[in-house]
Amino acid sequence: MEPASAGPAHLRPVIAGLGMTDLGKVYGRGTTWFAAEAVRRAAADAGLGLSDIDGLLVSSGVTRGPGLSLQRALDLRDLRLLSEMNSFGSTAGAMVQYAAMAVRAGMADVVACVFADAPLREGRSTGAAYGGAPAKGWVGLLGAGGAGGATTMYAMAARRHMMTYGTTSEQLGHVAVAQRAWAAMNPLAQMRTPISLEDHQSSRWVAEPFHLLDCCLVSNGGIAVIVTSAGRAASLARPPVHVLGWGQAHPGRFLRRDEDFGLASGAARSGPAALAMAGVSLDDIDVFELYDCYTYTVMITLEDYGLCGKGEGGALVSSGLLGPEGKLKVNTGGGQLSSYYMWGMTPLSEAVIQARGEAGERQVDRHELVLVSGNGGVLDHHSTLILGGTSR
Amino acid sequence: MTVGPVQRDEATAAFFDGTARGEFLLRRCPDCGTFLSPQAEQCPEGGTDLEWVPASGLGRVVTWSVVHGRGVFPTVVAAVVELDEGPWWWTQVTGPGLPDDLAGLRVRVDFARYEDNEAVPVFRPMD
Repeated sequence: MEPASAGPAHLRPVIAGLGMTDLGKVYGRGTTWFAAEAVRRAAADAGLGLSDIDGLLVSSGVTRGPGLSLQRALDLRDLRLLSEMNSFGSTAGAMVQYAAMAVRAGMADVVACVFADAPLREGRSTGAAYGGAPAKGWVGLLGAGGAGGATTMYAMAARRHMMTYGTTSEQLGHVAVAQRAWAAMNPLAQMRTPISLEDHQSSRWVAEPFHLLDCCLVSNGGIAVIVTSAGRAASLARPPVHVLGWGQAHPGRFLRRDEDFGLASGAARSGPAALAMAGVSLDDIDVFELYDCYTYTVMITLEDYGLCGKGEGGALVSSGLLGPEGKLKVNTGGGQLSSYYMWGMTPLSEAVIQARGEAGERQVDRHELVLVSGNGGVLDHHSTLILGGTSR
Repeated sequence: MTVGPVQRDEATAAFFDGTARGEFLLRRCPDCGTFLSPQAEQCPEGGTDLEWVPASGLGRVVTWSVVHGRGVFPTVVAAVVELDEGPWWWTQVTGPGLPDDLAGLRVRVDFARYEDNEAVPVFRPMD
């Protein structure tokens, strides 16, 4: 891909607004409200009116959101770009990429990218919120046979990594402990009480080798960002966060002999593509905001981005590099494990907050370059963004 | 053994006809003879006119998870089984004699159904 800095400087894509609703156990609102409110807040954050929006990309979680009808809910006239998008957990990153391309091409000036979901209902368990898989066809068969469900499949992926490379549950526990320490400094986080490795090890099994504290939260809410051009952003309210590079990878796995299921993710291709586009190297990255549906996902993503050799992710995450005191700044808001579960919008929102230098107590000193990952399916879909601080 | 309800659709009708007979059907490419998963629509080598053929029903465990039950949901062992023909199948491993470490465990297919629903493949340790 050509560098993001190619083309006219005034058309370089930036994130100019971030809107977040209340997140977590927020009841009495549907996904349309969450999505609309997130867009309203993102536009207001940018110093824009809703009528300035001429592009809208909508992503929904398990409860199926408003989709294209969000346009009507927000009374948006004469859009030049409108789509509902889905590549699961990699969607948020992908939406920013498509929005950035639309801006660079002059197709749209102000593109709102939004995710909303409301799986939690009062009085119903968190597990039940993500249950109820369809019972028809191949997908139904997977569920009926007992091997369906994201947690079960990721647990089997993690087990394979453990069997092949000697990765341990204790090593994964370091990810949970480190992220909780970050979350303790995040006023938006749902889980802010510090935990120890012993707490991780003694938390109940969900699907072995995953304990409860290996697994993400489930949250209601909505998050939106406004993607626009550097030229337009120059007169707006907030310092622009430049979108310097991006990539996607969808490896395609076909359930047959010698598959690398559990041993590799799309990060290995998506990361280098995004870094090359931005014209930077891995060593230049100050902050990593990584998709963390499970502790294991953080480990294998770091491994595949090349922060250590293949199979060394367990040693990397347990070496004291993570957490607020560590040298490697990863998931500085607590991530989906401890702050809020908004699919790819969780790492993206924290990346924007850090890049702007607005993370308060948890602000990382060096925040010039932030890498954001998205991961969907069972390591099936990956997106990477390289975001640049405000001085670029 | 615990399986849930599942209904057939157009894509799965032939497969469930097989499970009803006690057969685990795979797809096979008539051009090159490659065995493919039941979900396959085309051969990696390009063949599209795939045929349904019964598998041996034998395989080995690639990876697994003890999925702990809560409430009405019982604890089950989920696994990826590599069939001797090559394709992988996401399934439940069940029955007496399950070791703690399932890595490489040789297994054989069996079938179970929930009430009047379609028969679902599960795997048991080989004797």
